[in-house]
Amino acid sequence: MNSFKKIILFTVSVSLFLSCKKDEVTIKEPVKAETVKDLAADPTTISGTGQPVASGKFTFYNFKNGIVPNADSTTNKWDVAFRGTTILTNGGSSGTGQGGAVVLNGIFDEIKEIPASSTFAQDSKTVLAIPTGSGKGWYNYDAPTNIISPIAGKVLLIRTGDGKYAKIEILNYYKGAPAKPDANSVARHYTFRFAYQPDGSLKFN
Amino acid sequence: MKQMKNLCIIILAMCFSNTYGQKKVVLDSVSHKNLEEVVVTATRNERKLGTLPMPVTLISQKQIKSMGSLRLNDVLGEQTGLFIQNDHGQGVQIQGFSPDYTLILLDGEPLVGRTAGTLELSRLAVGNIKQIEIVKGPSSSLYGSEALAGVVNIITEKPNATNGSLSMRYGTNQTSDLAGSLSFRRDKLGLNLFLNRYQSNGYDFTPDVFGATVSPFQNYTFNPKLSYDFSSTLKFSISARYFTENQENNFLVGKDKVSGNGNVNDWNLNPVLRYAINEKVKATARFYTTQYRTNATLNYQKDAKVYDETFFIQNFQRPEIQIDYALNAKHNFTFGIGKIWESVEATRYDDTKRFETSYGFFQYENTQFYHLNLTIGGRFDAHSAYQSQFSPKFSLAYELSPKITLRGSAGVGFKAPDFRQLYLNFTNSVAGYSVFGTQEIAKGIARLQAENQVSELLFDVNKLGELKAESSLAFNFGGTINLDNSLKININAFRNDVDNLIQTQAIVRKTNGQNVFSYLNLNKAFTQGIESEISKQLSVNNQAFTVSAGYQFLEAKDKEIVEKLERGEVFRRNPETFQTVRVKSSEYEGIFNRSNHSGNFKIFYENSKSNITASLRGIYRSRYGFADFNGNSIADTDDEFVQGFMTWNIAISKTFKEKYRLQTGIDNAFGFTNPERIPNLAGRLIWVSLGVNFEKKKL
Repeated sequence: MNSFKKIILFTVSVSLFLSCKKDEVTIKEPVKAETVKDLAADPTTISGTGQPVASGKFTFYNFKNGIVPNADSTTNKWDVAFRGTTILTNGGSSGTGQGGAVVLNGIFDEIKEIPASSTFAQDSKTVLAIPTGSGKGWYNYDAPTNIISPIAGKVLLIRTGDGKYAKIEILNYYKGAPAKPDANSVARHYTFRFAYQPDGSLKFN
Repeated sequence: MKQMKNLCIIILAMCFSNTYGQKKVVLDSVSHKNLEEVVVTATRNERKLGTLPMPVTLISQKQIKSMGSLRLNDVLGEQTGLFIQNDHGQGVQIQGFSPDYTLILLDGEPLVGRTAGTLELSRLAVGNIKQIEIVKGPSSSLYGSEALAGVVNIITEKPNATNGSLSMRYGTNQTSDLAGSLSFRRDKLGLNLFLNRYQSNGYDFTPDVFGATVSPFQNYTFNPKLSYDFSSTLKFSISARYFTENQENNFLVGKDKVSGNGNVNDWNLNPVLRYAINEKVKATARFYTTQYRTNATLNYQKDAKVYDETFFIQNFQRPEIQIDYALNAKHNFTFGIGKIWESVEATRYDDTKRFETSYGFFQYENTQFYHLNLTIGGRFDAHSAYQSQFSPKFSLAYELSPKITLRGSAGVGFKAPDFRQLYLNFTNSVAGYSVFGTQEIAKGIARLQAENQVSELLFDVNKLGELKAESSLAFNFGGTINLDNSLKININAFRNDVDNLIQTQAIVRKTNGQNVFSYLNLNKAFTQGIESEISKQLSVNNQAFTVSAGYQFLEAKDKEIVEKLERGEVFRRNPETFQTVRVKSSEYEGIFNRSNHSGNFKIFYENSKSNITASLRGIYRSRYGFADFNGNSIADTDDEFVQGFMTWNIAISKTFKEKYRLQTGIDNAFGFTNPERIPNLAGRLIWVSLGVNFEKKKL
């Protein structure tokens, strides 16, 4: 165990050293870290008959530039897309890129790089890289109160359409990110934090 | 903080009674005959309590009377290590196990009617109880399924004399109790009749919301017994019980008021024939039959249309033969065989479901194995719906000195999958989810698929496999110290490792977004702890005091969660700062509804000259997990707990002219309530009762 730690430490320091060295040569974009608030993910409206109705459209998001118009849904311009509790990555059955995801147990800040052992799943017609369903992906659903709660300690590792890496932690699913959402809270509004490494490496610092 | 204070009171009380014991108090030897108490539950034979190698608690009629208790849950809730747990009924938690895992016997015969796992203890009036025996740790070696955490055996009065009694009681919430008993004995014939009527208007913690916290109810218990001795060697007895309860139900479904009546009935019949073949061999034959039945109809108040109509009928029949062979003063053998036929018919089952169990058990006791008392036993249960079970048990008591006895036991306990887990076929019409027993799930899913109701398969049905019994391996180790016959210390440490705990599992997601659930053997858990009781008797002239204090330390944990915590895989996020942290192992206090610390402090007082009895009992339990609100499946933040609390009960009685007894008391004297999290704990209850005893004049 101890020696294993040492090896990791060694590897990390060596790679840090190496990357530092690299940095001296080329000036690169830094890692972008941000908390996005109230990203609308197809919120419902009340129809004339009193039923909640959604448009069925995804909100496409690019870590560098923010929301991407729906017209670009068949390009590599978006990285992740949100609709209700469903999150797509730009790859597999969902997009044209090489996107994929891993749902990792851990603490966002502690994840300094994408673990080498990660195998990125891609969206398919039957199952998404970020699975939907209570307790299966990023959220729990409480049927009696009808509340969606993001699961603490679930970090979504994302490979973007153009092969870059990011990590996301979903923090809240309701407008205004209420600490205790209730029946009056407006659903389908994501608050999440992310870190995006534009240089294509696996590291986040 | 308050928790600490309460704990301190108990610890102080323990020290107090301890130091008190060391003072040399001049005892009135006459009042200390210290009759040896006899129990039957631990070995299925009458044995002296002090010699038994397993932990047994005995609650006497005198104690119950002095407490002024009416129902079984009132009595059990005050005992060290026992908690009343409310889950579809009030049941008892023993050694950290839910009520489902404790077998409840009435005169040695099992009570049935666990619609959702818990057997409602308030079905049992305590007015005709001679004593209550509680064996902790598994007794499946004698009693089979359900005797995993322990056995509670309620022993009722036998018709040994001619007398009668009548009592009336009235108290808070318009709660009234009326009880009468008649006993007749002439030579070979004994007759006994117990009648009880109990009613209450209930109470409401939320008067602005339609529907009471506890709705008004009334119930009746009718319990006749007959015994006839054909000869000194051949004795026959038959007892019966009939219980019926009606309760109003009122609640809101959305904005609609729904109301109706619910009825619960049970009856049993228990003929027993005892034959002493010779001085060494005794045979006992029993044929026990019982039925439990409920029905409820609920209607919308606005248009009287039916909202829900449900019924549940459980039948249980059991012939059994037991042979006891006392080879000599040293060796005792017990053998038994029996068969159980059980059936359930209910709204939530397709048709009548039936179970059959054939079983045999044996037990060998050696009372003089060197200085040891050795008991070895085992039972084999062959069941029609799940794997056969063998449950051995090995117990040993060692008399270190006349004052100190050590005891230890190891045993296997099990709880069979119940009808619900095997055969349930239930769809909640309001929420839209479904639950199928393991025998029904394949059929149920096929039907849903044919109706195009399946949106996603979540779990491979073939992986469910055959449901196995939940089983435990348990160790109990402790001892008793008796000093001067007036100071008694009892200690027992326990450890239970439980395997194959049955959990619900989501199998299919329906097109309506709701899930279909079934059951599977999944979890492993353990409970461990230490329980101790210290009691001191003091007698001065006509006055006798018994001061006692009890304490239990308990840890009950899910093993998978313990491992996850160790691996650092359990997290918690602050919903305001969004800070996510790892939950530490030390922050896991255990399974919901388990208090790490609990205790009690009691004083019983008796004055034989002025005929006054009194009792003061304080019951404490430390905080316990209530629910998981932050999605990590354990209670780890303060808002997920029920804070620790203490309740105090007081009762005083005076007997006039040897016949009339006036008693008054206050249960929960300081009116502690927690309406949101402990709705079954009513506030302060003040009551007064009057009783009269008739005795046949001695000729």
